[in-house]
Amino acid sequence: MLELLNNLVFGLGVAITPMNLMLCLIGALVGTLIGVLPGIGPVATIAMLLPITYGLPPVGALIMLAGIYYGAMYGGSTTAILVNIPGESASVVTTLDGFAMAQQGRAGPALAIAAIGSFFAGCVATVVIAAAAAPLTSIALLFGPAEYFSLMVLGLIFAVVLAKGSVLKAISMILFGLVLSMIGSDLETGAGRMNFNIPELADGIGFVVIAMGVFGFAEVLRNLEQSHNRDIVNAKITGLMPTRADLIQAAPAIGRGTVLGSVLGILPGGGSIIAAFAAYTLEKKLAKDPSRFGRGAIEGVAAPETANNAASQTSFIPLLTLGIPPNAVMALMVGAMTIHGIVPGPQVMTKQPDLFWGMIASMWIGNLMLVIINLPLVGVWVRLLRVPYRHLYPMILIFCCIGVYSVNNAPADVYMTAAFALVGYWLVKHDFEPAPMLLGFVLGPLMEENLRRAMLIGRGDATVFLTRPISGTLLTIAAILLLLSVLPTLRKKRDEVFVE
Amino acid sequence: MRIMSRLVGLLAGAALLAHAVPVAAQAEYPARPITLIVPFAAGGPTDIVARIVADHMSKTLGQQLVIENVVGAGGTTASTRAMRATNDGYTIIMGHMGTHAASVALYPKLAYHPSKDFETIGLAAGTPILIVARKDFPAKDLKDFVSYVKANADKMNMAHAGVGSVSFTTCLLLNSLMGVKPTAIPFQGTGPALNALVGGQVDYMCDQIVNLVPQIKAGNIKAYAIGTPERNPALPDVPTSKEAGLPAFHAVAWNALFAPKGTPKPVLDKLTAALDKALDDEATRKRLFDLGSDIPGKDRRGQEALSKLVTSEIDKWSPIIKASGITQ
Amino acid sequence: MADAGQNTSARKRIRNPQDFYGGLVLAAFALFAIWAGSDLPGMRGFAFGPGTAPRLFSGLLLITGLAIAVMGFITDGPPLEKYGVRGPILFIASVIFFAATIRPVGLVISSFVTLVIAAAATTEVKWIESVIWAAILTVFCVVLFVYGLKLPLQLWPRF
Repeated sequence: MLELLNNLVFGLGVAITPMNLMLCLIGALVGTLIGVLPGIGPVATIAMLLPITYGLPPVGALIMLAGIYYGAMYGGSTTAILVNIPGESASVVTTLDGFAMAQQGRAGPALAIAAIGSFFAGCVATVVIAAAAAPLTSIALLFGPAEYFSLMVLGLIFAVVLAKGSVLKAISMILFGLVLSMIGSDLETGAGRMNFNIPELADGIGFVVIAMGVFGFAEVLRNLEQSHNRDIVNAKITGLMPTRADLIQAAPAIGRGTVLGSVLGILPGGGSIIAAFAAYTLEKKLAKDPSRFGRGAIEGVAAPETANNAASQTSFIPLLTLGIPPNAVMALMVGAMTIHGIVPGPQVMTKQPDLFWGMIASMWIGNLMLVIINLPLVGVWVRLLRVPYRHLYPMILIFCCIGVYSVNNAPADVYMTAAFALVGYWLVKHDFEPAPMLLGFVLGPLMEENLRRAMLIGRGDATVFLTRPISGTLLTIAAILLLLSVLPTLRKKRDEVFVE
Repeated sequence: MRIMSRLVGLLAGAALLAHAVPVAAQAEYPARPITLIVPFAAGGPTDIVARIVADHMSKTLGQQLVIENVVGAGGTTASTRAMRATNDGYTIIMGHMGTHAASVALYPKLAYHPSKDFETIGLAAGTPILIVARKDFPAKDLKDFVSYVKANADKMNMAHAGVGSVSFTTCLLLNSLMGVKPTAIPFQGTGPALNALVGGQVDYMCDQIVNLVPQIKAGNIKAYAIGTPERNPALPDVPTSKEAGLPAFHAVAWNALFAPKGTPKPVLDKLTAALDKALDDEATRKRLFDLGSDIPGKDRRGQEALSKLVTSEIDKWSPIIKASGITQ
Repeated sequence: MADAGQNTSARKRIRNPQDFYGGLVLAAFALFAIWAGSDLPGMRGFAFGPGTAPRLFSGLLLITGLAIAVMGFITDGPPLEKYGVRGPILFIASVIFFAATIRPVGLVISSFVTLVIAAAATTEVKWIESVIWAAILTVFCVVLFVYGLKLPLQLWPRF
C-alpha cells in the first residue's frame, strides 16, 4: 500500500510539470473536440498528431496522446445525448436515455452526470491500474476464443434486454444487424460474402456509416416531416446541473458501472464494447420500475457512461503490462511509443518507471481536466439545442458527411450512409428500435470469429463452451437473463407503443 | 491547439521555402502538397514507416507529404485508387509486400498489376519477419521446431492476422518449406493473434519484428529465427534462418514508394532523391532502427532495384499462395 | 376485426399493419440475404464455412420476420404512419450530392451546394437566411477540418 502511494506520488511528480500539464490539457481538449465531431475518431487524430509529437519528450508525447484518447471517448457521449448520434459503439447505449432526456429539456443534467460519472470511474480505474495492473493481466490471458464467444452471446442477450418494446422485434433487429455484419469478406478463407464483388463492400459496412445513417440522419428525416419543424427540445429546458434527487438516483449506478467497466475493460477482444450495455442492462434489471428506461432515466446515462470510461481506462492494462494493443487506438499508441524509442511491454514498468507511473498519474489528471473542460461546456451545448431546427439540421448534415467521408476518404461510405438513413427512417415508421440492430452489427463478427476459432482449435468439439469454466459461467448467465426477459412478455402483451 | 500547431507548421514551412526554393516558380515540382496514400490503418508498421520517411521527405521537397490512409481489401483498394490517380507526381503510394507482390496471386480479379501499372520510386524500409511459438513449445531450436511440427502436423494450430496479411503469407512460406498444412487460426490483426500466442491458445506464428520484440525479451513467447540475412540489433540472440538451418525462409515485409504509370521521369527522380536523403538522415535512421526496421543499403535503393524486387517477389509468392488454394 | 363502415376492407383486416408489413419486409430481406450468400460454401467437416453464419442468421431473421408478420395479423396496433416526401428526398439528395462532388469539386463548393439543397428540405425554408447560413457553415468547416484538423480534403476543383 505504501509502495503504491509512493509510486503514485512519483508519477504525479512526473506528470505535474507545467509542460506535461499543458500537454495533458491540449490532449483532453483536442480529444473532446474530435469526440464531439461525428465520424472523426481518435485513430485519425492521433495519427495526424504523431509528427507533432516527434519533438516532444516521450512521456509528454504519450500523455498528450492518451489525453486525446479518453477525451474522445468522453466527447462521443455529447453527440449521443444532444443529437442522437453515437460516435462509437459504446455510446449507442447512451443515446437511449441520453437523447430522451435531451428531448425532455434535461440535456444539461444528462451531460453533467456523464461527466461526473466518467470522472469517478476514471479515478477508480486509475487506482486499479496502479495497484493491480500486473495481476489483472492474467485475466486477459485466461480468455481464449471459447470465452470470447460466450461473452459475445451474453452481449447479444444484453441487447435484447435493453430494448423497450417487444422482445420478438428486438431479436429480429439483432438478427438484422448480424446479417448486415456478415457482409464483407470471410476472415478464415478471405472469400467475399454477400458483397456482389463491389470493391467498396469488400471489407463490409463501417460502423460509422450505419450509426450516422440509422441514428443521426434518420432522426433528422423524422423531424423534417413535421409540418412545423419542431426543435429537438420539446419541453422547457430545466436546469443545467443534476438535482440532488438526480445525484442520489445516479450514484449507485455510477458505482456499479465503474466496477463492471473496470473488469470488462481488461479483456482485449471486445470487453470494453460490452461494458457499456452490461452496465445498462444491470441497472434496468435492478430498477424498481424498469419501464422508465429508454424514456429518460438518469441511471440509463450514468451507468453506461461510467462503465465506458472505466473500461477505456483499464484497456490500457494489456498495453502497459504486455505491450499487446487491444484495439486500433492502442495499436497507434504502440506505434507512437516505438517512434519515441520506447518498447512497450512487460519491461516498461521496471525499466522506465517515470513513463509508467507518469502516464498513470496523468490519466487521473486527464480525467480531472475533462471535468473542468466539460462541466462549463454543458451550458454551451445546451444552448446549441436552442438554435432553430432549420439551422441545426444542415449543421448535423455537413459534419456527418465530412466525418463519414474522412474515415476512409471514400465517397462510397457517404452514399451508403444516405441509404441507411432511409433504412433507419423506415425502421422508425414500423416501430423497430435501431439500438439492438447496431449492437448486433458490432458483436456479430466478434461472435462468429471466436466461435469458429474455438471450433478450429477444439477440432470441432462444441462442448468446450460448456466445459471451460469461464465460458460455461457466461453462457449460464446469458440463459438466465434471456429467460428473465422472455417470461414476463409471454404473459403480458407487448409494451405500450413507444411515444415520441 | 491544432490551429497553433498548424501555425507552427506554416511558419516552419515558410522558413523552409525561403531557404530551399528562393524562386517560387509555378512550374517547379512540387508546387503544392503531395498526397501519400498508405494502404493500411494508421499505426500499423507500414503507416509508421511512411510517416517517418514522409516527415523527412517533406523537408527536402519543401512541400508537405499529406498521408491519406485508405484501408480495405488487404491494401488493394488503396493501390487501385493510386493507379487511377493523375500521374503528375502529386499522388504517390507506399506499397508493400502484400499490395505489390502477394496480391497478384491472392486476388485474381485485381484491377492493377504491380509492375505494369506503377512507376517505381524506391524501397523505403522493410520489417523483418520472425518465426515465434508459445513459450512452452517443446522445441529448443529451429531444427527441433521443424521436426516437431512435422511429427505433430495434425495437432498444430498456426495463428495469422487474416488472409492476405504479412503474417499469413509468410507463414504459408514457412509451412510450404516444412511441407506441412497445420490448422490455420485466423485473427483480426496482429494484436489479437499475438495475445492468443502469449496466452498459449495457439502454437506458432510468423510476424513482423516490431510487434514481437517486447514479448520475446520478456520470455512470453519463443523466437526461433529471423528471416533476414543478418541478425537484428534489437534481438541479437535470435539466429537468422540461414544460421538456424532453414535458409529458404527469407522474409522481410518491405515497404516502397510507387507512383502511377506515366509520372514524368524528372518528378520521379526528385522523389527518389528525397527518399534517398531521408534514408541517409541520422535521426530518421534511428527512428527506423528503433522499430527494428531493415533499411536498404545503397545497392537496394532507387527505381531499378525496386522494379527488380517487385518482379522477383511476385515470382516468389505466387506459387506458394496458389499452392495453398486460398484466393479471394 | 369487424370493419363495417370502412371502405378499404382488406387493409383494415390487418390489425397491426406496422408490424405486419415490417415483418414481411424483414423476411424478404432475409430471403434476399440467403440468395446473396447462396454461392458461399457451408460447413466443411467440423469447420464453419464462409456461408454458415450468414445462412444461419438470415434463416433466423426469416423466421422472426414471419413471426412478427403473423403477430401483426392477430394483435392490435397503430395504423401505418405516413411518410414525408419533400424532407427525405431533398435531404438524401443533398447527401448524395456531397458524396458525388467532394472529390472532383473540393470541399468549398461541395459543402456550400449541399447545404443549400438541404436547406430546401424543410417547408419553413427562408432562402436568404439559409444561403447566408450555408456560407457561414462552409467557412467554418474549412477552418475546422482543413486548417484545424488537417484532414486531407481538397478545397477547390483541381484542373
